[in-house]
Amino acid sequence: MTRSSRSRLTRRSVIKGGLGLALATTALTTLGLPMPAKAAGKKVIIGAFADGGLTPFKQKIIPQAKEAGFDIEFLEDEYGVTLEKWFADAQSGAGQYDLYLLDDPWVPQFGAANVLEDLGAEGVDGADKDWIVSMIDMGYWPPQEGPRVKGFEGAKPTLICVPFVGDLQTLTYRNDVYTDGAPKTWDEVIAKGKEGVAAGKIKYPVVFRGVSGNPIVTSWYPVFLSFGGSFFDDKWNPIFNSPEGKASADFFVGTMKQNAPSGVVEFDSDQEGAAILGGDAGAIIQYSGNALKADDPAQTKVAGKLDFGVVPKQEKAIAQMGIFIAGVPKSAPNKANAIEFLKWYTSADIQAKLSEAGSIPVKRSAFGIAKPGNRLIPIALQQLDAGALPRPRTPDWAKVEELLGIELNKALQAGSGGGASLDTAAKQVKDYLATAGYY
Amino acid sequence: MKSATQAPQYRLQGAGLDLALPYLMLAPGLTIVLGVLVYPLWDGLRASTRAYRYGSPVADVGIQNYVRLWSDAQFLNALWVTVKFVALSVSVEAVLGFALALFCLREFRGIRLLRTVLIIPMVITPVVVAIVFRLIYASDAGMLTALSEAMGGGAVQILGNSLNAFIGLVVLDVWEWTPLMFLILLAGLQSLPHEPFEAARVDGAGAWRVFADLTFPMMRPVLAVAIVLRTIDAFGTFDQVFVLTRGGPGEATRLISIYGYDTAFKFQQTGYAAALFVTVGLVVLGLAFSAIRLLRRIDAS
Repeated sequence: MTRSSRSRLTRRSVIKGGLGLALATTALTTLGLPMPAKAAGKKVIIGAFADGGLTPFKQKIIPQAKEAGFDIEFLEDEYGVTLEKWFADAQSGAGQYDLYLLDDPWVPQFGAANVLEDLGAEGVDGADKDWIVSMIDMGYWPPQEGPRVKGFEGAKPTLICVPFVGDLQTLTYRNDVYTDGAPKTWDEVIAKGKEGVAAGKIKYPVVFRGVSGNPIVTSWYPVFLSFGGSFFDDKWNPIFNSPEGKASADFFVGTMKQNAPSGVVEFDSDQEGAAILGGDAGAIIQYSGNALKADDPAQTKVAGKLDFGVVPKQEKAIAQMGIFIAGVPKSAPNKANAIEFLKWYTSADIQAKLSEAGSIPVKRSAFGIAKPGNRLIPIALQQLDAGALPRPRTPDWAKVEELLGIELNKALQAGSGGGASLDTAAKQVKDYLATAGYY
Repeated sequence: MKSATQAPQYRLQGAGLDLALPYLMLAPGLTIVLGVLVYPLWDGLRASTRAYRYGSPVADVGIQNYVRLWSDAQFLNALWVTVKFVALSVSVEAVLGFALALFCLREFRGIRLLRTVLIIPMVITPVVVAIVFRLIYASDAGMLTALSEAMGGGAVQILGNSLNAFIGLVVLDVWEWTPLMFLILLAGLQSLPHEPFEAARVDGAGAWRVFADLTFPMMRPVLAVAIVLRTIDAFGTFDQVFVLTRGGPGEATRLISIYGYDTAFKFQQTGYAAALFVTVGLVVLGLAFSAIRLLRRIDAS
């Protein structure tokens, strides 16, 4: 009897205790939750990767968006994790974001997976003549021009993204080293840079990103383009290991490395920025993130000594273009707000304000304002007109870049064999694309 | 006399509660295990037999993904780098951990503080450890370079050189995880019976003889457990590499976890990545079984 009553007592207490605990937890959770805030406006949750190129937008445009009735929640992540995070969000329909500020090479991946809204159908005018054509073209999937991947040969191009902040590579150089203005050729960059080193003005003529994968490919790309290289033919066969491509790779891992900091193999944008802003390097090809800091004495030791120019040429002066581009996931919880925000943000007025704030706009009219907020902006337009190409429009770019980046990084480490590294990478890329059904 | 409160209790029992209660109690735990362990495992296995394109499954391919692995130079390289990394790290950690445990077995002033200090690296978040080591290794502004320059040398190249970067990664792992070995082995040493050691001392055995004939043989099961645990753990090393080198330079520190992560999430080859992880899981499982068999043999002997 004692056993039985103890047993009943135990069960009852367990059940009662469990129920009590559940109720108490619910009550505490409810009490502990903050009261829902009164809606401050039309909510838009923006996902972005951390990059200096977005600073003017954050500092100047978000407050204006709030005045215009938008309640902006700006969520930033490190570049290296955003692609996978957002792709998982879009594909699973988790609905964590209303707007992704993508790096433009990611557009094909999102486009092929069909996870972004058709912005054209929502009233965003992709044919507006004020767009920078090469930028708005990047928002279409499949691309309006150039080769298309299998399965999308006959598909109608759809506007799934709109350019958000313009960006492209330009040259930043020390005006006390390159006293005749921006160096026009790579040979001039190196020769005058060496003179600057000899004069004790700088430590290295050039600096660039050498880390395997995206960083090294991004740094090599303008050299490759300027030597006259092309990446794929119209059947997706890799042709980057052409004689021009190999010459560019040999120059990059040889001459450029010899004239860069000894640890350039491990340099990413932080170290690259520190070298130019800290006064150690003579010239650099870079996106706007660090260039925007060039006049701020709080962020550079050589304020007033840094100028901008079009990228040097061997045959052509072509830069890589890589813009922030906005897409609305189909699972966005505040889809209508996000689209309304995009229309507001890409209007000529707000683009002019973005230009005033110091960012590269995406509408041509905004380049022509009386007082752009940064002297890089007119140079960016010069570069756009001189030539700026996006990376190949394939959903498999991340893998291609990885394969090429590893081989280039190995050659950079060795300080030679750039051309041979392109042969190896071309074979790997071809094999990979064959497995992926490109041919 | 039945009280009013007894009747509902009886009805509760009469409704089969006695029989059902154990299952009801198990149900939440079982549901969680099914939800977070069994289902994902099953789903992962299923994914490993499919081809994915643009993030979605497009075809069943049977064991093709598994076959493809063995002709994938990047996978084979990552596997080889991982095996080298695990073998080197765990060996050094075992030796150092054992030495430290033997040293800390003694009682002297400050020993408790020393034991506490020695386990601190283990409790620091791996990502933080990697960031700190990056600040030490960086050739432009790292501590080693600063030290070298202060002594008249040049920049120290760790992360920009394949061999140095690999060794640098092993050093990081050894710094962080030797304390785990130390802790397990110290506990093992403290639990050994005193009598054989006292007898050996009476017989005039020296320190080396005691170690070789008593301590090491008696510690072998504990050492084996510690090595197995660390080996399994080291196979999954991810955070440190992700922060420190991202697998570079070249592919010198590209462990299988990094390659699998990139394959799954960056390149969206979900099925292939699933096959990769299943294969690695089987390799680790095989290692664990071998180690357990080894343990049994040691026990038997």
